[in-house]
Amino acid sequence: MPSILPQLVVNGLIAGSIYALAACGFALVYYVLKFQYFSHGAIISTAAYMSFLFLNLMGLNYVLAGILAIIVSLIAVLLSNWLVYRPMRKRKATPTTTLIASIVLLIFTSSLLLALFGSSTKTLALSNKNVTFDWGIFTITAIQISILILTLVLFFLLWLVMKKTRLGKAMRAIADNKDVAQIVGINPEKIYSYTFIISAVLGGVSGILIGLEQNLYPRMGVMIIIKGFIGSVIGGLGSVPGSIIGGLFIGLIENIGVWFLPTGYKDVISFSIMLLFLIFRPQGILGVKMRDDS
Amino acid sequence: MIHDFFIQEFTFFFIYLIIVLSFNLAVGFTGMVNLGHMVFVGVGAYVSAILTLGGMQWYFALLLAGLISAALGILMAAVTSRLKGDYFQIVTLGVIFIAIAVSRNWVSLTRGALGLPGIPDIIKSNFYYMAFVGIVSVLFVLLFHWLVNSETGKIFQAIRDDETATAVLGKNTYFYKIFLMAISTFFAGIAGSLMAHQINFIDPSIFDLEQFIIILFMLIVGGLASIKGTIIGTLLLFVVIDALRFLVVAPEIIGPVRQMSLLIILLVVLIFRPRGLFGRVDV
Repeated sequence: MPSILPQLVVNGLIAGSIYALAACGFALVYYVLKFQYFSHGAIISTAAYMSFLFLNLMGLNYVLAGILAIIVSLIAVLLSNWLVYRPMRKRKATPTTTLIASIVLLIFTSSLLLALFGSSTKTLALSNKNVTFDWGIFTITAIQISILILTLVLFFLLWLVMKKTRLGKAMRAIADNKDVAQIVGINPEKIYSYTFIISAVLGGVSGILIGLEQNLYPRMGVMIIIKGFIGSVIGGLGSVPGSIIGGLFIGLIENIGVWFLPTGYKDVISFSIMLLFLIFRPQGILGVKMRDDS
Repeated sequence: MIHDFFIQEFTFFFIYLIIVLSFNLAVGFTGMVNLGHMVFVGVGAYVSAILTLGGMQWYFALLLAGLISAALGILMAAVTSRLKGDYFQIVTLGVIFIAIAVSRNWVSLTRGALGLPGIPDIIKSNFYYMAFVGIVSVLFVLLFHWLVNSETGKIFQAIRDDETATAVLGKNTYFYKIFLMAISTFFAGIAGSLMAHQINFIDPSIFDLEQFIIILFMLIVGGLASIKGTIIGTLLLFVVIDALRFLVVAPEIIGPVRQMSLLIILLVVLIFRPRGLFGRVDV
């Protein structure tokens, strides 16, 4: 029997790309708006449940279902910005207040999903879901391959937007120095809205991909964003490329860690690594400068 | 039977008062936003449950629940002492997920997701137990009032307002932060023990964010760094929950509906009045 390691690495890469997807939406908002955007998890679970609604309950075509799910997550993000985050920005809320509000939104969404869909776990229905490739040393499903490919495509698109477009430039300017950016005529509110929109698309796609790979349950958003956030801290809080590396790293470590510890302790592994990073290398893997709090 | 209902509600009110005041001590009076406060309540509850089920007298178990919680609190404060602002909150948030993982997986000790049933009562009569918990919590309020107005309490508040300046004045902020965390988590553990003996059952769901939201509601709506605020905030939560009890809602969604109503109130307070009713500082 061949070693189990290649399979663990493959599993780790798949889990890692899911975490990285969650992490980069979180990190993007943290980078531009400077607050811990936990309600990104709410968007991910909303998108997953919406694709369940459109695909399983309404029986729509999967492309249409996916697009509709992303549209709903866009609406949810814009609503949360208009109703919660923008009023808080206007009132100069502290980062801690905004962090608490985002946790409140996250739990609100899981309660709403619980009320609407019940507590039982759900699975997305797709005809070719169980197509599996066996390469001897490891097996991988078609869904998992498409997760890896789509994740790479999304990361590339995100990089393109951030580095090659006027919008990306404006976002980076706001992130670096809001006052100076305003002086040269960039409207922060507009850039904030665009940031939320991009994060919603990222969150929507990750929600659908996660829905294909795992079961849906009302509290899934909490579990996913915790991993995304740990990945983001490890990669360097406020760095989008760092969050992707951090998410992949966490996925790999957790899955290889199963060798040494029972599966139930996955959360403990990733959290301990985060703690080690916070103590010995708070700037993360990519070495982003720590935010000045004092 | 309405009588019994009020006795039970008041017992919980007194227990939550201890939890939220000790939470306020960390968040409001010292500025250490310990998002994992419920973890220490849960640890206290588990310690007390395991010890009394193992045949120990309740008063030893109560004391040990406080001490073990405090030991973990000191450990957390010592590890995080160099981290500031955001990073402290991050770690305390992560502690919740460690607690969930450990309580679910250390089956030989906690019976995992099944929980520990049959925790013995301290006092058989519900009324006298309410009175007992009431006395404990009044004593705690008095102690708390004395503490925050003492020199030590002033130093805590100075750390919240400007840690560097406090250190420059020659105060050992490292020691005070650990000391504060020890007090805060000690009482969280005591409250957890009292809660375990009241509901006679404990399982990992005590660590869920849904439980944390309840004490967050009491703290934020009441206001930070205010004893009066915490008392009113705690009372208000019970009023809201009991009012919702009489709304006609399908029983299978009453839980989520209650949760959502609390969250909406909390959100409105966070947006429009982040200091809550009687708060003296921002979150």
